[in-house]
Amino acid sequence: MLSEFNVVKPQTVEEALTYLERKDHITKVLAGGTDLLVILRRSLKMPDLLLDIKGIEETKRLEFTSGVGLFVGASVTVNQVADSEIIQRKYQALGQAAQTLGSYQVRNRATLVGNICNASPGADLAAPLLVYEANVHIASKTGRRTIPLTEFFTGVKKTALASNELVVGISLPDPSSGDQSVYLRQARIKGHDLGIVGVAVRLTAYQRFLVAISAVAPTPVRLFALEESLNDQWNSPEIAVFAGEEIQMLIHPISDVRASAEYRLHIAGVLVKRAVALLTMTGGT
Amino acid sequence: MKVSLTCRVNGEGVCGTIEPSMTLLNFLRHDLKLFGTKEGCGEGECGACTVIMNGVAVNACLVLAVEAENTEITTVEGLSCGGELSTLQSEFIKQDALQCGFCTPGMLMSARALLDRTSDPTETEMKEAIAGNLCRCTGYVSILAAIASTAKTEREGEGRK
Repeated sequence: MLSEFNVVKPQTVEEALTYLERKDHITKVLAGGTDLLVILRRSLKMPDLLLDIKGIEETKRLEFTSGVGLFVGASVTVNQVADSEIIQRKYQALGQAAQTLGSYQVRNRATLVGNICNASPGADLAAPLLVYEANVHIASKTGRRTIPLTEFFTGVKKTALASNELVVGISLPDPSSGDQSVYLRQARIKGHDLGIVGVAVRLTAYQRFLVAISAVAPTPVRLFALEESLNDQWNSPEIAVFAGEEIQMLIHPISDVRASAEYRLHIAGVLVKRAVALLTMTGGT
Repeated sequence: MKVSLTCRVNGEGVCGTIEPSMTLLNFLRHDLKLFGTKEGCGEGECGACTVIMNGVAVNACLVLAVEAENTEITTVEGLSCGGELSTLQSEFIKQDALQCGFCTPGMLMSARALLDRTSDPTETEMKEAIAGNLCRCTGYVSILAAIASTAKTEREGEGRK
């Protein structure tokens, strides 16, 4: 049995924020619930109130505007992202990552924004969102603010979100045509499993690399140093092999139940090499 | 503080008075006495509690009963019609797609949701659809065969029973 709490379902962001302002209550935001209900079942956290945000129109938006980009509201499920034709076409790595998260049933409930707010070091959707330079749209009673996703993660399961703030959605700029990306992930089994390493690599139409990785640091990370090295030699035939070796100098993964640090380091190299090879057609797999 | 819940389960309107912290799984089993839906892990890993909610497969253990307000839910009890098994259920028996049977209700609901969204699923699609349903008896091969033969039978016009 879950711990005792009440559930409210506000219809507007304003109404939701009123609940978040209350100091006499521990309030948790409920979107897909696929992480939250597990935490509640284990009685790790005892909220007084769950704030179901799925009734708020703004959080249901999944919209693409040419020249502006993509907006994914906080209630949009991972399967909605995986099935979106525009995401598959313009944000390939994001579509691929959405398809690998959890199981089909979990993806029907889990939300993209929930994956980010849960702030797991291995969050599947984080690396693709990082390479698309996603912005997090945050609301509170004092107003709205937008921060880059790189500033949103502050530690293991920790974010820059204050207790009175709500993430309304995430936006991604519109990539130019010719922009390509790929997400590769290693897990113990092909099906429903957490990733050991997840790598997103994007090559823009202007031959600029963006690389992000999950499950090798306290938070998912953009690898700015690796990007710089790759941008310096984007037309080298050895670039994929170089990327695979270079990344191993830049990350410091830990050992856990899923994999040893050594294996993570090795497989990060393999995945980055493969991803760069796929995008540059230089081979190297 | 208890709250009221109204939804449709297997085509019938249902009203209940529930604790807000009750899961959909507990509502189905404890309040509606629909024991077909099983609780395995209770954490969304095993898929034994899979039901179809508003047309999509979900883990009933990861949904609060209050979230089911005004939704349409199908459980394994809703597959048969007039005491007669559906094509999918018959094919599971024909293909020996079960042994202990604990995972079967969840398998059937994941398979039903798949066949409702595509009448001719590829093997990859079938595997993806049941990746969240664990079975420790069959080794999955007979389950995939049962889903494939159901798809074929339904496509050939006998339709869904």
